[in-house]
Amino acid sequence: MMTKVFHSRIRESLADENLQSALDANAERRISVRQDAFASLIDPQGMRERAHVVRADVVEHLDRYLEQFTIHAQENGMVVHPAVDAAQAIKLVLEIAGQHDARLIAKSKTMVSEEIGLNHALEKHSLKVIETDLGEYIVQLRGEPPSHIITPAVHLRRQDVGRLFHEKLGLPYTEDISIMTNAARRILRQVFLDADVGISGVNFGVAETGTLCVVTNEGNGRMVTTLPRVHIALMGIERLVPTMIDLSLMLSLLPRSATGQKLSVYTSLLNSPRRSEDPDGPQERHVILVDNGRRDVQASGLREILYCIRCGACLNACPVFREIGGHAYVNLLGKSSPYSGPMGSVVSPALFGQLEYGHLARASSLCGACREACPVDIDLPKLLLRVRTGIKANQAESNTKPNAPGLLTVGLKLFTFAATSPWRFAVAQRLAGIFGSLAAIFSKEKSWLRFPDFSGWGYSKDFPRPAARSFRDRYIKKVESLQSTNDHAILPGLAQAALSEIKETNPIPASKGIGDFEAELIALGGYFISCKLDEVSHNILETLRVHGIDRLMVWETPYLPVGLIEQLTKAGILISHPTVETQDTNCLLRAGLTGASAGIADSGSVLLSGGPGRPLIASLLPEVHIALLWEKDVFENLSQVLQRKDVKQASASVLITGPSRTADIEMALTIGVHGPGELHVICIKSE
Amino acid sequence: MTDTVQLFVTCIIDTLYPETGEAVVRVLQKAGVKVSFPPDQTCCGQPAFNAGLRQQARMMAIQTMRAFETYPGPVVVPSGSCASMIRHSYSELFIDDPIWLPRALALAKRTYEFSEYLVDRLGVTNLEASFEGRMTYHSSCHLLRGLGVDRQPRSLLAAVHNADLVELPNTGDCCGFGGVFSIEHPEISAAMLDRKIANLETSGASILVACDAGCVTNINGGLHRQHKSQRAVHIADILGKT
Repeated sequence: MMTKVFHSRIRESLADENLQSALDANAERRISVRQDAFASLIDPQGMRERAHVVRADVVEHLDRYLEQFTIHAQENGMVVHPAVDAAQAIKLVLEIAGQHDARLIAKSKTMVSEEIGLNHALEKHSLKVIETDLGEYIVQLRGEPPSHIITPAVHLRRQDVGRLFHEKLGLPYTEDISIMTNAARRILRQVFLDADVGISGVNFGVAETGTLCVVTNEGNGRMVTTLPRVHIALMGIERLVPTMIDLSLMLSLLPRSATGQKLSVYTSLLNSPRRSEDPDGPQERHVILVDNGRRDVQASGLREILYCIRCGACLNACPVFREIGGHAYVNLLGKSSPYSGPMGSVVSPALFGQLEYGHLARASSLCGACREACPVDIDLPKLLLRVRTGIKANQAESNTKPNAPGLLTVGLKLFTFAATSPWRFAVAQRLAGIFGSLAAIFSKEKSWLRFPDFSGWGYSKDFPRPAARSFRDRYIKKVESLQSTNDHAILPGLAQAALSEIKETNPIPASKGIGDFEAELIALGGYFISCKLDEVSHNILETLRVHGIDRLMVWETPYLPVGLIEQLTKAGILISHPTVETQDTNCLLRAGLTGASAGIADSGSVLLSGGPGRPLIASLLPEVHIALLWEKDVFENLSQVLQRKDVKQASASVLITGPSRTADIEMALTIGVHGPGELHVICIKSE
Repeated sequence: MTDTVQLFVTCIIDTLYPETGEAVVRVLQKAGVKVSFPPDQTCCGQPAFNAGLRQQARMMAIQTMRAFETYPGPVVVPSGSCASMIRHSYSELFIDDPIWLPRALALAKRTYEFSEYLVDRLGVTNLEASFEGRMTYHSSCHLLRGLGVDRQPRSLLAAVHNADLVELPNTGDCCGFGGVFSIEHPEISAAMLDRKIANLETSGASILVACDAGCVTNINGGLHRQHKSQRAVHIADILGKT
């Protein structure tokens, strides 16, 4: 197989010092934060195994779960479109955009759209498409594909971004990441408000409820699924979980694996478009279920790769990815696959063709670091090995043609010929020994051989001279004398040296409460105030005073303590109840006040369910978000909260875990990208 | 306690390091078992398997199964990756083969990596070996992540007299060997090996010990090319010293 392009991309990557230092920083940081995040779980191995079983069940019974999901999503008021391939998915998006005379489309990150080449297709139809995830926005401005499924601009340094923003956006050159982030916030805010259509990906679809779950840290995922008139969600057909309990399991693993967070900042749970009484949300919500080869993969020996939840942990753990980066994973024509690293080296040939991408699976030492990092315990080395057999979609492993290079194949066939007979094997060893001895005569170096670079081995390593006489040769003569001198005696004291059993015990945590909630929230950079009901207005006024804010967008009274709005008005605060129609003016309001129907002690999260009198944009558009939470509504874990009725009944809900953040430029944590930069939770003590 | 073990010496040790093979025999005998060497053994088939050549891999696996079937008792392999090949990958190779799958599983069940066999089956850690100097332990990929064997070689090395055993930074990172990978992707393999060598230098050890002759060959090949004085050795070379 010709992989010249691949090899030259590998050499370029290895020679690129900027890239090398960016990749080093990525690997070191991502591996350690993931390990730390998993350390906070009681039984991480058991959870991985359960997650594997859940994903296996979904992929095994994909049609059943798809049908269940579709029925419930339609009942909820979403429009569900199956798309067999990229062309059909693109056509559907164009049709929906056409029905609404759309000109501007705001996108949050969706790898499926990269996979089907959506942006290019939309632009060909004169639609303006803007990526809103900071990292994606950067690579879009550069005209590049993302180099990592989670952190698209991982290959760039701050100087690259500073120059890019200067050239493309006319901003003064800066190396200050917060200035760059703020500039992107300003520009993209207008895009969110002006966009006719929002396009997002989907992290999980919940079959039992028809819910879409979308997680982002910056808040752009919430923006594009809330503000534009139309929301289109692109979802690979395999991205389902059966129940809300399964979703909570997956959400315990996905952010930990991806970014080392217990939960991403925003976990959106979308059930329906805006209902008549709702203050905000899109008029239409479409889900495009993209197959694009997945059913063929399901019917092949590579089926297990469909369990993947796209966390990127295997990329970060992979020693090969660390050397070459995502863009080097190219097809025969030099086009980078949207999916790189270990999972990409299986997904790409599985979905886009063995012939074009099969060579990627050969760039692995099969060290198993990917499998160890995988939160759903996919046996990636096994799948990489299956790709090497030349397996194609819809094919079991038999009747394949291996994708090994020709010379290697010839060599291994000769080796097999020798190794399938002890006699021939012994002759081959003898020949190797003679070759070694001859080489030693003609070389100064007595114990080492130097092969030429093109041999592969000789590129950076010497080779030990084969022994003149093999082990088996010597063994026949020696072993008897060895055995007789030692007489099989057990040395004294050996038995006592046996290792004592190492027993690992897991501490059982005390039930978590408000103290844990506070600690988690503060660790995320949020603010926590605990007070009595009659002190709430004072605390709100104090927060506003610090920022010099006198206008506030708020939820309506039934969802806030009785009399609170009157007290604030009396204190001179201008109150507005935002709706999607007034969002342009709402955008000028710097603070939002909302309730919260539940808190999660484990992660310091608050649950906000939208609906009449509860505009979710009050927690999204302003710089400062103040959430009121009753102490009695704090639960221990995610699973308890996801099973609440309001999550199933609301058009949309969101779990908020700290202030909006990004780490897309050099992994430097920057607070307040698209969502609020400040989150204040005022916890009202139960009387 | 088992009386006789069947040694699967592996093609690399057989051809390149016969002294290491002899050290393996010595150590096993010292630990109280008889060692037999089934003469029809050649290669487990891993090179062909890793290259994607399943048909060839199956031929070698069958050769190996036949070579050991007439010799009862535990099969001891001084290589994490060859042991992992037999224990985990033979069942993948014969997944649709009703005749060979049970035979593959039977061999897998009685196959042990060398250090695993000493510690877990024989209950031996102290072999009264002695080594002067500073050494460090490299956790080979298939041994660590394929077989879950790590404390066993570490406890064997901890019992070596006089040795100053230090930790190798990022010991579980791949050294860049990966069999055919090191030939097909020499540039990436070289970059990975450079990291391993840098970590070895950080550790301050003069000897790196591994349970796999593949890693030993790869690491030594780079050390020699770069004119470094440190060396990689197989664990049997250390344990066989008195």
